[in-house]
Amino acid sequence: MNNDPLADTGLPRGYDLLVRHLKERAVKLGEWALAMVHDGWRAYTAGDLEAAQAVLDRDTHLDRLDEEMEHATIAFFVLRQPAAIDLRTAAALLKITTHLDRIGRLGFDMARITLDGTDAALNDIREHLQQMDEIVEGMVQQSVDALGDDRVELARELFRRDDTVDRMHREANRMIVVALEEHPDLAPRLANDLLVARHFERIADNACKVAEKTIYALTGQRRSEYLPRHAYHPYVLEKGPDPSPRSRK
Amino acid sequence: MPETKLRVEHLTAYYGGKPAISDISLDFPDRKVTAIIGPSGCGKSTLVRCLNRLHETGPFTNVEGQVLLDNEDIYQLDPVRIRRRIGMVFQKPNPFVTMSIYENVSAAMRFNGRHSREETDRAVTRSLQQSALWEEVKDRVDSPATSLSGGQQQRLCIARALAANPEVLLMDEPCSALDPIATAKIEELVRQLKENYTVIIVTHNMQQAARVADYTAFLYIGKLVEFGPTEQLFERPQDKLTESYITGRFG
Repeated sequence: MNNDPLADTGLPRGYDLLVRHLKERAVKLGEWALAMVHDGWRAYTAGDLEAAQAVLDRDTHLDRLDEEMEHATIAFFVLRQPAAIDLRTAAALLKITTHLDRIGRLGFDMARITLDGTDAALNDIREHLQQMDEIVEGMVQQSVDALGDDRVELARELFRRDDTVDRMHREANRMIVVALEEHPDLAPRLANDLLVARHFERIADNACKVAEKTIYALTGQRRSEYLPRHAYHPYVLEKGPDPSPRSRK
Repeated sequence: MPETKLRVEHLTAYYGGKPAISDISLDFPDRKVTAIIGPSGCGKSTLVRCLNRLHETGPFTNVEGQVLLDNEDIYQLDPVRIRRRIGMVFQKPNPFVTMSIYENVSAAMRFNGRHSREETDRAVTRSLQQSALWEEVKDRVDSPATSLSGGQQQRLCIARALAANPEVLLMDEPCSALDPIATAKIEELVRQLKENYTVIIVTHNMQQAARVADYTAFLYIGKLVEFGPTEQLFERPQDKLTESYITGRFG
């Protein structure tokens, strides 16, 4: 007779195997989310409605992966009552799942605005957004690799790249504002470009969150222990911490 | 870190010339629950038995080092008085089987000198209330202690220990013979007791340590490996050995 409560969950029974299995699921979710960003951006920049629809159709699968991951992690908590690194990994994975899901959803949003069928983008803005996409996709891949391969240093490197994305986001905003003055007829497209730039910035932030949680799982260190309080907040990087009395509390 | 109630300094305890615990130094904070965890035979029970001088009552035993209660070395004081100040509850409920519930609790007072009936009544009621047993037995305090369930008997033993007005309560695996409902009651009681007492609990059950203890000490082969706030020890243990033990990857 099998007395193991995990037997009916379809999860592996060995402790290490189970932790590895959960991580692999998270990595799979991350790869799926990354593919949605990749294809969402491709569809948007090419104005390819069919490709955009294909991304939208993948949303259900993203939801399913997210739900399965949550279920498996909660089963791990309930049936194995983890401690120390296992506890941190399980807690981190619950958060990581949310961040990866958000990344996928931002790819979904890029595909959705493609369906607006707006005019073609201005070349310089398209090139700028293309560069943002390359950096951001690399960051998501790096965060997923750091998680899957237990690489703390790889995760730490991500924060520097986030500063670059923040600067590029501000530059994109500036370029789009200038373009709006020069080409008011392109306002619908430029408004969407503004959204896409914002999406890239959010994707980079979520990749950093995945890295943060990976570092926590592996070392127990929380962000406040290795990064200044306002690190990778765009305004702080330029102006320093908010000096208002409220922020000093 | 709160004030220290009980300080252990370089404590080594022997059975027949062999050390069961070696060079342990540890501060037990006042009015907090401290759990002692570790695998079988690591010296958990020996350590707590040294804290109220029970260890020396066994044959071929010896203790080196100091145990300071409010900065006084208990090994320089009268052991009987020490055991009044540092009460103990054991793994298996051990009520006095020939006595009633009332007599069990008042026994501690009888051994501690003469008291009026009113004083004894008050102390019995208070102790039974503190051990969360009063509501269940208030109408039958003259019934035999053996008429109580295992969980109730354990709370009776806690009431008996509290009746002596101790400052520290030692609990050596107090729930290991109890079902989950009785265990939950004892755990809730432990959380309440720390308002007035310093509680030290030995447990095999790591989840129990996590649930009830403010601080946790991990012992391994007679040595103190790690001591710290429970949350930190279970979330971010500093020692690899602690991590291996609490994640079940020992051996």
